[in-house]
Amino acid sequence: MISPILATKLYIPPPRNKVVIRRRLIDRLIEGLPGKLSLISAPAGFGKTTLVSEWVTDGNRPTAWLSLDEGDNDLTRFLTYCIAALQTISPNTGEGVLVALQSSQPPPTEVILTAFLNEIVTVPDDFLLVLDDYHLTDARPIDEALTFLLEHLPPRMHLVITTREDPNIPLSRLRSGRQLTELRVSDLRFTPGEASDFLNQVMGLNLSAEDVDTLEARTEGWIAGLQLAAISMHNHQDITAFIQAFAGDNHYIVDYLIEEVLERQPGSVRDFLLQTAILDRLNGSLCDAVTGQQEGNARLEALNRGNFFLIPLDNQRHWYRYHHLFAEVLRMHLMTEQPDQVAALHRRASAWYEQNDLVADAIRHALSAKDFERAARLVEMALPGLRRNRQEATMLGWLQALPDELVRYRPILSIHYAGALLQSGKLEGVEARLWDAERWLQPQADIGEMVVIDEEEFRGLAGSIAMYRAAIALISGNLSDTMKHARQVLDLAPEDDHLRRGAAAAFIGLVNWRYGELETAHQSYVECMAKLQRIGFISDAIGCSIALADLRIAQGRLREAMRTYERGLQLATQGASLLRGAADMHVGKSQLHYEHDDLNAATQHLLRSKELGDLASLPQNPYRWCVAMARIREAQGDLDSALDLLHEAEPLYASDFSPNVRPIPALKTRVWVAQERLGEALGWAREQGLSIKNDLSYLREFEHITLARVLLAQYKRERNGHSILDALGFLERLLKAAEEGGRTGSVIEILILLALAHQIQGDIPAALKALERALTLAEPEGYVRMFVDEGSPMASLLEKAMKHRIAPNYVRQLLAAFGKVEDGTPGDQSLIEPLSERELEVLRLLGTDLDGPDIARQLIVSLNTLRTHTKNIYTKLGVNNRRAAVRRAEELGLL
Amino acid sequence: MNTPPASTDDHHEPGHYEIRIKGYLDNRWTEWFDGLTITLEDNGETRLTGTVVDQAALHGLLKKVRDLGMELLSVNRIESGQPDFPDDKF
Repeated sequence: MISPILATKLYIPPPRNKVVIRRRLIDRLIEGLPGKLSLISAPAGFGKTTLVSEWVTDGNRPTAWLSLDEGDNDLTRFLTYCIAALQTISPNTGEGVLVALQSSQPPPTEVILTAFLNEIVTVPDDFLLVLDDYHLTDARPIDEALTFLLEHLPPRMHLVITTREDPNIPLSRLRSGRQLTELRVSDLRFTPGEASDFLNQVMGLNLSAEDVDTLEARTEGWIAGLQLAAISMHNHQDITAFIQAFAGDNHYIVDYLIEEVLERQPGSVRDFLLQTAILDRLNGSLCDAVTGQQEGNARLEALNRGNFFLIPLDNQRHWYRYHHLFAEVLRMHLMTEQPDQVAALHRRASAWYEQNDLVADAIRHALSAKDFERAARLVEMALPGLRRNRQEATMLGWLQALPDELVRYRPILSIHYAGALLQSGKLEGVEARLWDAERWLQPQADIGEMVVIDEEEFRGLAGSIAMYRAAIALISGNLSDTMKHARQVLDLAPEDDHLRRGAAAAFIGLVNWRYGELETAHQSYVECMAKLQRIGFISDAIGCSIALADLRIAQGRLREAMRTYERGLQLATQGASLLRGAADMHVGKSQLHYEHDDLNAATQHLLRSKELGDLASLPQNPYRWCVAMARIREAQGDLDSALDLLHEAEPLYASDFSPNVRPIPALKTRVWVAQERLGEALGWAREQGLSIKNDLSYLREFEHITLARVLLAQYKRERNGHSILDALGFLERLLKAAEEGGRTGSVIEILILLALAHQIQGDIPAALKALERALTLAEPEGYVRMFVDEGSPMASLLEKAMKHRIAPNYVRQLLAAFGKVEDGTPGDQSLIEPLSERELEVLRLLGTDLDGPDIARQLIVSLNTLRTHTKNIYTKLGVNNRRAAVRRAEELGLL
Repeated sequence: MNTPPASTDDHHEPGHYEIRIKGYLDNRWTEWFDGLTITLEDNGETRLTGTVVDQAALHGLLKKVRDLGMELLSVNRIESGQPDFPDDKF
């Protein structure tokens, strides 16, 4: 793994045995616990970390601790570490979030953060999350994530931040909401009393009150300054003379004192301090490698005993770090005193980290050494792992740190560069990088010597280039180029290169789908799904199931579609934790149950999908969910809610390049037709440029069928002989196109409309002929709602079919389904106008403690729609308020 | 529509800056601060002056000041044409 979780980052630095107890500050922190955030914001060396560690070690609140570093600018890594920190106090918390973070199609940040918050709620006790050294992160996404967390923070959690600069989060809002406790430099600097305690008791000096005052004044209570002064004094004969000199000097305190300290160390200690200052973390073996000496361990322990700003990072006294401030000044001394050594020291550190499999650190030091050859080699080896762990930000950061010339001679780096740019949506630079990679594949090229470390990746290079080109073509909407490059991938990539061949199959499937070549598209997706499964990209494979089922439904093969969803669900639930896509499978199954007129099962699957949540959902699921729920509402006669849901769905559409064959405006128009809002329906047709003279294409088929419905409705109202002939002619054309494309689902719907059109005209024999064809196609797949949704005209036509003994068993079943809808409303309400099923549902909720907005949310309708329902209920029950309605309903036995 | 600014005062261009901090810094810090000239003032302040390539580099320098726990007094851009040092220093 590229960046294993470093336990040292999660370790709470233990307070030293002897410290100045800062009761006044700790009391303020404790008082602030009911708020959301404690912010300890002050410059280096004011004892921020020490204060917090002292507080949390003494307190009885479980504490998750995270020491940040520059690498945490990658949001994926930052969240991964936050969860790792939480797991130190509540094992297994957040496992699902970790899986989602590392999946090949991670959900949007907000979904992850919401899931993270839901996990926090499961931590049993009140607890603290400490983010130490927050200033080391410097990335907008991290600040935004933190802002989101604070806005939704569960009451059990309290956040503590130590930082050298105020974080970019809405502090004033927290302040005015009394959610923020702040300790700033004026609070943190040592008072004269604390300075005295520190110098005399903690550091073991024996200073007069006057000397203490002088030091306190010179350092202005700056703790790092006082500590350095104390270390300096340990070896001084004449302490008062030292203090006088120090007080009379104008130099930057640290500069002055470190000079003092270093001067008094033996040469070997001095060298050790300077040379190891390049390290972010120190252990004996690493120090030995860098200094070329031995006894690194013993030296570290000695420094720790001497209070040399060394902070232990674990319990075993294995890893330490220097106080950042101290390290900075040591590094400056190293740069001026041993400038020729610096690169060599970094190179040795890099080698040590490489041997110990800590590649990220090895790369960091190689870059610091300006040993770019070495860095490039390490980066190349690290890339596949980074890609797997979705650390594109880190990947781009490293690639951008390397000189361009060097990257261009390394085709593997170039191709990953292209991939990382593409992933981050930076399309402009991609083609140039692909060219850089591609030129090494031309045999006659006389452009120098290329460098390849990862031979395996090089074998896949040609395939990768074609794959990225196909992606670019698809994004720019060029279907023929997408197809061309996808085919190249299949020519170029080896048989066992499942990743690239799978991606190519997906591209080919998409293009064929858009062209209306459903069977070919289906084959491609089957191939793609198998390959993705083989390489463990399970969520992506589940995503293929949606395409596969959609294609089968268009082909009128409902039973196969159901099997596809079931297989997908099995894939999503076989592992230890639920995979993304599980929720989508339930929505798919719901749609099929709907068609089979099992509204109860259809609703249950939608509820199940909602329960599984966004973390188990692919990006398109919220959209599909609303559309599926809208159909159920429509079937229940609640057309307003159906429109609400469609309205809600519209902005949720997330283009995944699958063709949008059932656009929302067309779906809304169908509801308008049912509501006899003909003007709006005709307006839609005009806006979309729809006419019976249009050329037909698969992508517009659904809209065209919708147009035919609008025309039929228009005829019913206006009885204009011309328009029915137009509609009939148009339907015949649509029928022919759908039959040629093998789209049996559409064929059945068009035949049904033809039958109804003939019936309107009074041509019953023609109507029955069309209906019979529809029934023959629909019976084996068990279609029900397709017929029932047409309402009473269809019922009467089916009665006629019954008389003519057309498909008698099936027709009987369909007619029974019509009856069921009527049975759905309790008959014995002794009301003049009975309540609809939906109104009964509203009534039941009126009997609870929920308020209006809550009821609306539960029913997934707008507040306005809810008001309409309640008004109707009141009228039917003859009451004028909620309480009376509930009482009356109870009298009538409706509740 | 915005018209492109006519002035050369563009934050993507290098500029001369003066950073004042409290306390004296030795000359050996010059390289640490990317080659800026270090001048000690009579009032116990240090002036760092020189060319800074862009805003990102300027923020990098300020971060170094921050990380040393030094007290930052002021940051000024010195208009080109204006001498780096007051005339009376020469």
